[in-house]
Amino acid sequence: MDQVIQTFIIGLSNGLIFALVALGYTLVYGIIELINFAHGDLFMLGSMIALFLIASVFGLSASTPALQLVGVILLVIAITMIATAAINVTIERIAYRPLRHAPKLAPLISAIGMSFVLQNIANLIAGPANKSIDNLFPTTNLLSVFGIETIAVTFQQAFVAVVTIPLLIALTWFVDKTRQGRAMRATAQDPDTAGLMGVDVNRTIALTFLIGGALAGAAGVVQILYNNVTVWNLGFRFGLNAFTSAVLGGIGNLSGAVVGALVLGQINAFSDRYLSANWTNAIVFAVLIAVLVFKPTGLLGQQLADRA
Amino acid sequence: MTTLVVKDEDPYGHGIGGWLSHVGAVLFGIPDTYRRELRLHRPRTIALTIMTVILVTYPILNSMFLASFSRTVFPLPLPDDTTVTFMMIFGIMAIGLNIVAGFAGLLDLGYVAFYAIGAYTAAFLASPHWGSISIVFLANVPQGFPGIHLPFWIIVPIAILIAGTFGALLGAPTLRLRGDYLAIVTLGFGEIVPVVFRNLADVTFNFSLGPLTLAVEHVNLTGGPLGINPIDAPYLPFANVIFNASAGYAPVYLGMFLLVFAILFARNLERSRIGRAWMAIREDELAAEMMGVNTLRTKLLAFALGASFAGIAGSLQASYLGATTSDFFQFSTSILVLIMVILGGIGNIWGVLLGAVALTYVDKTFLPYVGQQLQQIAPSFPNPAQFNFLFFGLILVAMMRFRPEGFLPNRQRAAELAAHTQADVEAKVDQIVAVDSQAETEAAIDADPSIVLDNTGPPPGQDETGPDARSPETTDEEREL
Repeated sequence: MDQVIQTFIIGLSNGLIFALVALGYTLVYGIIELINFAHGDLFMLGSMIALFLIASVFGLSASTPALQLVGVILLVIAITMIATAAINVTIERIAYRPLRHAPKLAPLISAIGMSFVLQNIANLIAGPANKSIDNLFPTTNLLSVFGIETIAVTFQQAFVAVVTIPLLIALTWFVDKTRQGRAMRATAQDPDTAGLMGVDVNRTIALTFLIGGALAGAAGVVQILYNNVTVWNLGFRFGLNAFTSAVLGGIGNLSGAVVGALVLGQINAFSDRYLSANWTNAIVFAVLIAVLVFKPTGLLGQQLADRA
Repeated sequence: MTTLVVKDEDPYGHGIGGWLSHVGAVLFGIPDTYRRELRLHRPRTIALTIMTVILVTYPILNSMFLASFSRTVFPLPLPDDTTVTFMMIFGIMAIGLNIVAGFAGLLDLGYVAFYAIGAYTAAFLASPHWGSISIVFLANVPQGFPGIHLPFWIIVPIAILIAGTFGALLGAPTLRLRGDYLAIVTLGFGEIVPVVFRNLADVTFNFSLGPLTLAVEHVNLTGGPLGINPIDAPYLPFANVIFNASAGYAPVYLGMFLLVFAILFARNLERSRIGRAWMAIREDELAAEMMGVNTLRTKLLAFALGASFAGIAGSLQASYLGATTSDFFQFSTSILVLIMVILGGIGNIWGVLLGAVALTYVDKTFLPYVGQQLQQIAPSFPNPAQFNFLFFGLILVAMMRFRPEGFLPNRQRAAELAAHTQADVEAKVDQIVAVDSQAETEAAIDADPSIVLDNTGPPPGQDETGPDARSPETTDEEREL
């Protein structure tokens, strides 16, 4: 039983990271019906940038004083989010915006090309080997405070939750309550009409890419601090997990993406633990295919884009 | 008024007999077709003939003296036999993917799965992998040798069947999906297949249902991460030729032989009833369905036929290299073939062939050469051969933006893309209709013997394009037909 709970906790932290990336897919798909294939690789770039900042620029280590550690990590998150957001907006400008009126598969193919470009840029700069950092957090079990020793929740796992949950709440608030969020929803429903109503469609789409990119950057920081390792082709596997999450929850649906990510995090964790890590990818793909074939609207249905 | 009478019935009849006579008609129709092509499209046909002659003689000339000109007389390295063989292999794949993506307009991102299936078919049927049994049939190994050893000539049709079956199996549940979802599902399939081949090295399971019991213990099904080797090379019994990697230019001609078949088959498919149905679906699925095209069945056929081409390529690749592992079959290979198709001109067989030849050259000869040169000048500079997909990715992005129809475009496809990319769609459509109906009628007449032109009036599109659009000679040629 303890083992199941332990696996569940691992799955939960996996799922929260997936959620940040999945939101990027679902936001972009909701608004321009593009499977942003390069998004997973943007996440990978985020983890690379964070690794560079932590290891080379700020030189953080486990012996850094706690207060300083927290401050610098917040700074790293901010810088990485800005960087990936800027990269994502640039990509949109170069690779997707000129194809706005092209057949639907053209931007997808362009995104696949972009994905390879980002991967190889990372490979070029960081080299083909795994890049890792030391664990920055204390390794004590947080649950030992309550006298539980058989199940472990580490500082790293708590950190994942502390970063991702506020971001998810902030995003929901932004899309639901702000003027820009309303513009996004309007554009998702019908870009032409939204344009007639005075929404700057190009700007709104750029904003969507900005937010998606920022979330991917945050996910990258969380990834490097949680797993302590990244590699140039991490984005492919991770991106497909996140995309599957988005599809599972109902692509275009924000809360669906989070639910889907949490489910997929569990599928990953349990498959790794009880089956074999070799099969996890195949299982994720099987889930993706099954959802697309049998219930293409996903668990919660499509909210943002109901144009299918 | 001109009326186009399209004969609906298959002139060769149905069933296997029909197919055989179809193949026969293709083979015996070549000289005739050639003469007609030469008459109608002299420059194009002459260019094509020269290219063919160069291609056919190149491997022999290369082995005789051309190789020494490489980098001396010619500024760039000439492709060696391995590269040219892979040009053929990728050419077959590109033609197959062109059927799926170009003719029928279905984006298949997991095409490599069928390549893998073809390769493993060859590995299973011509290697010592199944060591506990011994089936040797017309193969270049002694009788009683462990494992199954079938000749390449039998493996190819089997690989076609198996890959085609898997294509149909994948297509059946997924082809109802929208284009981008289909792309992702096929991508998933393309990832699952190599994973399965990699992981089934040690299979233990126990299955019993009533009296039926099926139990296996530690069976090595697929060779795992190491793959399967050695695989028998293709072997021509009486001439005693072995087509393996150390056989010089022999495998090039084997590849060329299979490629020619692939081209002829694809050309005929394109002009057949099925081909027209594919293009109708590509342009407007709803309209095609309204016109009586069974869209699901037609798309399934595209998937299965496209997959079977990859089956040929895979069995050739595995037999030629003498080994196969799941590492050969990655997502990037699917994309490489897709880039060949897009670069050359999606929908146009000659275009995708050009794409396959050009990209294989860049990938296997040009980039390694540049890397080698750079190594001498600046040893710390990254080797471009390792970052080939940086260039290929950029090619994809640039092609989509600046020339989505490719360098040798299919006229019809280019028109579709142009209609989408221009802002003034309405005006453009009128223009395309005018140009297209004339150009396409001509092309269709040249191409399709089953179209009988009842030429009793001006062709359609004449009013819009003016009287000089159609020269009197062409009309005469058509009357002859």
